[in-house]
Amino acid sequence: MEVVDQEGRTLTFSVGPQHPGSGHFRLIVKVDGDYIVDAKPDPGYVHRGAEKMSEERTYIQNIPHLERPVIIDSSGILFPYVLAVEELLGVEAPSRAQYIRIIMAELNRIISHTYWLSIYGIFLGHSTMFMWPMGDRELFIDLAESIGGTRVTFSYFVPGGVRNDLPQGFKERALKTCDYFEKRLKEYDRIFFSNPMFLKRTRGVGVLKREDAIKIGATGPNLRASGVLSDTRKDEPYSSYDTIKWEIPVRKEGDAYARAMVRFQELFDSLDIIGQALNLIPDGPVKIPMRGQIKGKVGESFARTEAARGTMFYHIISDGATHPYRVKISVPSFRNLSAIPFLLKGNHLADMPAIYWGLDYWPVEADK
Amino acid sequence: MSFFAGFFLALWAGVKQIFKHRYTLRYPEQKLDILMIDNQKSGGYEFDAKKQVGTAGFKGRHILYMDKCTGCSLCAIACEGIADCIDMVKVDKSFVQNKKSQFPQIDYGRCVFCGFCVDACPFDCLFETPFYELATTDKRSLVHTPEMLSEYPQLKGEYAKFIPDEKRGAHHG
Amino acid sequence: MDTFEEFLKRVITIAFWVLLLGPIIILPIILLVLPPLGVQVEVANRLLTALIDPFAMLRLVDSLGIGPSSLFFKIAVFPGFTFAALFSTAVILYERKLLAKMQNRVGPQYAGKFEGILQPIAELFKLMFKEILTPERTDKPFFWAVPFLAIAVGGALLALIPLSPEIYIAKSEIGLVIIFAILSFTPLIVLIAGWASANKFSFIGGLRALHLLISYEIPLILSALGVVMLSGSLDLMKIVQAQANIWFIVPQFVGAGVFFVTMLAELERIPFDLAEADSEIVAGWYTEYSGMHFGALQLANYIKLYGLTLLFTLLFLGGWNGPAILPPLVWLFIKLFIVISFVLALRGTNTRVRIDQLIKLGWVYLIFLAFANLFIALTVASLGIV
Repeated sequence: MEVVDQEGRTLTFSVGPQHPGSGHFRLIVKVDGDYIVDAKPDPGYVHRGAEKMSEERTYIQNIPHLERPVIIDSSGILFPYVLAVEELLGVEAPSRAQYIRIIMAELNRIISHTYWLSIYGIFLGHSTMFMWPMGDRELFIDLAESIGGTRVTFSYFVPGGVRNDLPQGFKERALKTCDYFEKRLKEYDRIFFSNPMFLKRTRGVGVLKREDAIKIGATGPNLRASGVLSDTRKDEPYSSYDTIKWEIPVRKEGDAYARAMVRFQELFDSLDIIGQALNLIPDGPVKIPMRGQIKGKVGESFARTEAARGTMFYHIISDGATHPYRVKISVPSFRNLSAIPFLLKGNHLADMPAIYWGLDYWPVEADK
Repeated sequence: MSFFAGFFLALWAGVKQIFKHRYTLRYPEQKLDILMIDNQKSGGYEFDAKKQVGTAGFKGRHILYMDKCTGCSLCAIACEGIADCIDMVKVDKSFVQNKKSQFPQIDYGRCVFCGFCVDACPFDCLFETPFYELATTDKRSLVHTPEMLSEYPQLKGEYAKFIPDEKRGAHHG
Repeated sequence: MDTFEEFLKRVITIAFWVLLLGPIIILPIILLVLPPLGVQVEVANRLLTALIDPFAMLRLVDSLGIGPSSLFFKIAVFPGFTFAALFSTAVILYERKLLAKMQNRVGPQYAGKFEGILQPIAELFKLMFKEILTPERTDKPFFWAVPFLAIAVGGALLALIPLSPEIYIAKSEIGLVIIFAILSFTPLIVLIAGWASANKFSFIGGLRALHLLISYEIPLILSALGVVMLSGSLDLMKIVQAQANIWFIVPQFVGAGVFFVTMLAELERIPFDLAEADSEIVAGWYTEYSGMHFGALQLANYIKLYGLTLLFTLLFLGGWNGPAILPPLVWLFIKLFIVISFVLALRGTNTRVRIDQLIKLGWVYLIFLAFANLFIALTVASLGIV
């Protein structure tokens, strides 16, 4: 932290890695009174070379390894990997496995969005909104645990299907939990999203216009809050998403309030999708039996899915061995990184938490 | 005026919560009932080598059936790229099906509880149990020998049921 | 001596030896050796009787000048500093349990057999045994003085607020003006704390708190002016006596609202706690305080909460007036409990305001509402309703 003082007006300090408001990420901020003159992000604090490490592991051993960057949305970062490997092997998962994957992916979306909501509450000073989503999130973690066996990083998807079937009695319990949570969401709306003090802090703050959003490459709910109707689950449907009907939430204003409301609406949509998938799920096998080491055919494949934060994209090059030759991951947080200095310039310092966390930037995922 | 309406509605939503149940589970007096959906008798993750598919369950400490293990070390090979925590060690007793008398030893300081060793075993002798209280005060005792792994752990404590009461809030009894 | 623990050990050892050897050597001399020589030691006789007989103890203490009706007792014990400190620690525990229940969780639960009732005492001991760190480049005399100044301001507030017609520490014809004068000392303390800790975050926090406190002093004083008009005096006793028929919150609801909002701002509580914004500037102007230093600052904060809510109760809610089934002191504490619960519940349901919204609120909206309140008070007073 150095003080660089030009004509005595500006003050430079770093909202550094050791700060309760930033996560593992450093933001060098230059302020003039209360206005931010410049904000330079400095990512790379938790880079550990995940892509290089994945070249030393077999296709199955990569599964626990590649889940770890985003532990709260682990199915989101793992889904395109198994889709890409299945394309390399030339197989397709059975239909029951596809619906179970939808259920798991949507559960993870709810878990990730409630975590985001609770940290957003505490950044704005609302301590009750820190505790309520964290408590209600446990219901969904328990549901995911009954399928996957662990609370985070389930290692549940494998190329060829999923590792085990749903436990008995899952459907009733999941539907009961979803009903309970929908009623709780009304309380969230009353105490937070319709709270006039929250509206004053986020309306008109950090406006990202439609052309700018497309130009800087924002993705996920940030893009949808600026008026662009784009969701990978509808544009390029994968894994039986085309049999499920729901509306994508889109807002035109592009400010922090719109981004919060898009994520709030996505919570309702995910509950709806889980209900529909549980009704449509067919009987059958959940996994294609594969014995021995998996060897992909020579070539490359790619797959794209919609994780909680945006579009996740994998590109795998294989040369016929048991290890992949190259795994390239394109993470949504890194795409959203260029929105941070763009939006912070010219805004109040006090708006920094509302804008920064409103973009849902996950530093570990961006650094891999 | 809508400012005041929104303000008092928020206060009312907060005050209403005072009269509902708290969600907290008072560990260690109450323990979470992870066998909440009763799928099988043991509650842990198991894998069927013939059908090549697993059964849903909690991934806790492992259990090794020493009378079925042949020491093929497929579990150790599967773990090499993940956590590298399974070593094959020699055991004093001799078994009919295990010529070299070697069995897996798991180091829980490194294990990530992914369960791929269970998937890799072709003889159905390594499963996982729903036991998760493995904390000790020194790192050496985290290495569980095959004899320690072959005893089924005691699951003790009072399990709290989860009650999603809609009127007065979900709680753990 | 190195730590507070060793200091305590030495003090306890010395006290132990004095208490052991003192009676064994001195008492036989006084009771057995001296009387045959014709010398009676008066004070020792009275002291020994006082140890057995409580009324003799009262008489002894009165004669020494520290009895229950003396000024020393009123300042130090009740309704003065000790009572305020104990009440503040009770409020701290009540706040944590109330917020916990509102947030779907259990608050402190292990200290003390019943739901964590000994938690404040446990925290007091913890803070006493922690090391007090003073960074190197701070301005040491000012850095050390700040918590004591804060407690002094809080305590001085309490000296002028009566709890019932008989229980008060100091009486004055212009009591309300003195209270506001003492309160306006707070911005200076915050500025000293923010500058003397050589830390960028403390500096920003101190400046923000300064903006906050200065902007909200004028609406605070103006909103109390309506009450002065209706009751015709600045003396707190007479203000409460004037509310014998109707509480002033009824004709002065606008003024009560403005006073409540500015009270929250003066106490730096949510929604106005931007001087201590956890996620932006670590802990604002008390970032560098640790150990008992920090404990003293928190105590000062809660003593000020007690003082200001007491003032609100006296000015607007009729003080100790109430039906005669309960003594006036009990009525006062019931009303105080309701006001404090309201202040604490607001903490759970609101976000923070931003600094420019806060300044606009203080200088524009609240002053306008306070003047409107003055007109209402004039109308009500001239129509002779009150």
